[in-house]
Amino acid sequence: MSEGATPTRGARLAELLDARFMASLDRLDITSRKILQGKLKGERQTKRRGQGVEFADHRQYVPGDDVRFVDWNIYGRLDQLFMKMFLEEQDLSLHILIDSSASTAFGEPSKHKYLRRLAAALAYVGLVNNNRVGLCTFADGLTGRLLNMRGRRYLGAMAEFLLNAPADGVTHFEKACRQWVSGRMGAGVTVVLSDFLFKEGYEAGLKRLIGDRYELCVIHVLSPQERAPDLAGDLALVDAEDADVSEVTISGALLKQYQRNLSAWCGGLREFCVRHDATYVLTDSAQPADRLVLEHLRRHRLLG
Amino acid sequence: MDWISPYTALVAGAVAVPALVLLYFLKLKRRQVPVSSTLLWKRAVQDLQVNAPLRLPRKNILLLLQLLALLALLVALGRPVLSLDTSPPRRVVLLIDQSASMRATDVAPTRLAEAKRQAREVVESLRAGSGWFAGSRSDEAMVIAFAGTSRVLCNYTADKVQLAAAIDSIEETDGETLLSDAVAVARAYATPAGTEDKNRSAETPARLELFSDGRIADLDRVIVAPGELNFHAIGRTADNVAIVALQARRSFENPEALSVFVDVANYGAEAVACEVQLAIDGNVRSVEAVTVLPRSAGKPGHTVVSFVLSHAGAGVLEARVLRPDALAADNNAWAVLAPAKALAVLLVTEGNPALRSALKSCAPARLDAIKPAEFDRIYAAQGALELSYDLVVLDRHDAVPPLSGGPSAGRAPDRLPRGNYLVFGRPPAASGARAEGELKDQWIVDWRSRHPVLNFVNLDNVLVARANRLVLPRDATVLAEFGDSPAIAEVRRQGGVMILVGFDVLQSSWPFDAGFVMFCCNVVNYIGREAAEGQAPGLKVGQPLSVRGAPGVRQATVTTPDGAAVRVEGSPSGAVRYAATSRAGVYRLAVEGGADHLFAVNLLDAAESDIGAAHELVFSGQKVKAEEGGPARANQEIWPLLALLGLLVVYVEWYVYNAKVRL
Repeated sequence: MSEGATPTRGARLAELLDARFMASLDRLDITSRKILQGKLKGERQTKRRGQGVEFADHRQYVPGDDVRFVDWNIYGRLDQLFMKMFLEEQDLSLHILIDSSASTAFGEPSKHKYLRRLAAALAYVGLVNNNRVGLCTFADGLTGRLLNMRGRRYLGAMAEFLLNAPADGVTHFEKACRQWVSGRMGAGVTVVLSDFLFKEGYEAGLKRLIGDRYELCVIHVLSPQERAPDLAGDLALVDAEDADVSEVTISGALLKQYQRNLSAWCGGLREFCVRHDATYVLTDSAQPADRLVLEHLRRHRLLG
Repeated sequence: MDWISPYTALVAGAVAVPALVLLYFLKLKRRQVPVSSTLLWKRAVQDLQVNAPLRLPRKNILLLLQLLALLALLVALGRPVLSLDTSPPRRVVLLIDQSASMRATDVAPTRLAEAKRQAREVVESLRAGSGWFAGSRSDEAMVIAFAGTSRVLCNYTADKVQLAAAIDSIEETDGETLLSDAVAVARAYATPAGTEDKNRSAETPARLELFSDGRIADLDRVIVAPGELNFHAIGRTADNVAIVALQARRSFENPEALSVFVDVANYGAEAVACEVQLAIDGNVRSVEAVTVLPRSAGKPGHTVVSFVLSHAGAGVLEARVLRPDALAADNNAWAVLAPAKALAVLLVTEGNPALRSALKSCAPARLDAIKPAEFDRIYAAQGALELSYDLVVLDRHDAVPPLSGGPSAGRAPDRLPRGNYLVFGRPPAASGARAEGELKDQWIVDWRSRHPVLNFVNLDNVLVARANRLVLPRDATVLAEFGDSPAIAEVRRQGGVMILVGFDVLQSSWPFDAGFVMFCCNVVNYIGREAAEGQAPGLKVGQPLSVRGAPGVRQATVTTPDGAAVRVEGSPSGAVRYAATSRAGVYRLAVEGGADHLFAVNLLDAAESDIGAAHELVFSGQKVKAEEGGPARANQEIWPLLALLGLLVVYVEWYVYNAKVRL
């Protein structure tokens, strides 16, 4: 990442996030319930400044210890070797999986753009707070990834990656999750941004994402047209991904049934998430992305 | 309900219904709409199909509606009719009364309008020609309007538009009601010559539909077969006050004094107080309040109002009952007061300067003198030919020997042209008087000085040297007498007046008397008034106006009471006739290059004024009751309703197709 490229990347970032939004994001950080409940209670150290370390305890030196951490002051007074023990630095990873299948290209406003804005906001928070941030786009498997970013200097790269993310291809969620989990390390938060309109179902994929060290957050984005279709007449509905044709004659009853099915689908997803201790947020692309991030995600304690 | 052309509908249905169903089963061309995922839609469709309690997709409803619309149109094509009348085609004669009594307003707006409305209903109920398969003929009707005369407005036709137009063209008249002509005309048309048509055999005689108020003057002259005539009675009340007679007379002695008699009749059941107004030339001269007795024992109450006015000149007299009632036409009556006419005088003499100068001093319009022989040659041989002179003065005509050696030499001609005569000497045989012997040196001893002819004439000193002894017919009026014989007499013959003077004036001292000139002038004035009265009689509605103009008159203009001007052609002999006097009022006939003639045309008909509607007619013993209610409508076609229904269903189908919320 050369510094020379930064101004343009900054400009690219501005395409996704405006200045005010970024300013409000600056105050936030990624939180993880799992880490709070982990072995270092109450604290999650961040590396704000160089190698700022915090002393925790002493213990007796045993051969083999790193001599760099011997407390020579105590040795001078007591003539005994004690080791300085520091707080373990919790390195939080934020992984964002972004649906980039053809179905996200739909909607007015576009789901695709909305997904990328959300991803950018979350990644921004992660990068600003020096968390390890990884972005993946998936469709039929993972289609692109940008891993191991840390610090503001990656903002431009992040924006570039998101802006270049395509929106085509069929979805194969389970495959994507499989691929991704195999390369995942550390602990942190996994955020899945998708419309979850997967013909194969979402359960198998999500189950792979659930683990002890990773907290899962599911953000379900639908377009207003999907929540309340404005269709009429005898239509042949063509699936954007697999070109499957469904002949329907729009009627009041059909629309009602569609609504019923949609809420059942969303309800099923929510229930799945609750059961597996994941966060579930349903939104639609007409909602302002900043409002979702600043209000809903904070309420769901994804950000704090 | 019956069908006129069921096969048409069946054929059309056999084509159209399968075509519609076929169209329905053809693959619907659907609009392709890309969506993000068909996942939820597929499920929704499946769920809907599984869950729908009644599996009736909307498309089927559309098909159902389309079929319904098609069915309605097909049924309409079959031309269903209500109350099918399959009897042989009828021929109907619509007899519509347009007499004065039909102008009564007791039925709004008028009886005639109501009659026309009912007649139109009958026309509407006529059966039209059937479809391609039934092959029967349509009903036909003709329209005759009758009042004093009958007019065929439309011959037999099935064209309802033409019939309705004929009915609409009937106008109100002030005529009387004579049905016999109309019935005779209707029967004459009933069997058109040269028509060989089984459907029009004598078995189906034309049915007469009479629309009238039943005030028909000549019912006893009409004979109808039972059931041949349907009487549609129109009208209700009998309340009417009418002028049924008007007479204007100048006093015999004083021509300025005008006596007017107005006979006012009341046809209502209650006595009526009203005012009778008399106007001359539009200026009201007198108004008199009268009370007219009510109708009693079937006879209307009469009151005669008499006016005495002083009016010397000409004018139009109008009497008017100032009381609005159902029939306005009979509240007025007119009479024309003729002016004394300037006469054309023909003097037939061998030469009589005294007579000639005396007549000349009377300022006649024309004074021609011819010899008696010439007169005979022109007129006498032709008998009753009309004269073009108003007054012929025969002076000593008897002195002339007849042209052909007749049996009686020296005798006045047997026959004279019709006209007014002043005869000096032996009376002509046409007068009915004759001369028996001769009298000598007679004095006139008595005369009727109050007769217009002898007004201001003193015969005291008239000595007649030789006179004829006159033997007069019984109806003659003696105006002056010698001691034992009439000297001057008036006889009315052939609509003319003859003043017979029994002596030759040249054989008397009369020419030297101023009274002789006075006498001549009196005669001219008297004859002139007589001629004027004869010329402008009161006419009844429907009677023709007739003017004897000068020969060669070709054109005349008649101004009707409505103010319309009608050009009339004269006959070669100079007579001008105008027969279309259908409205009461004053007609002005202006002969081209001649004087105007005024004619008063009056209703003055007690039968017409009696407007109480009859509900039963008695035709020569055959009673016909009035039809109750309107004409029964046969063969009412209901296809327009069905077509409307089809249209509505199409609208509903369109709505169902378009509506967002359905089922």
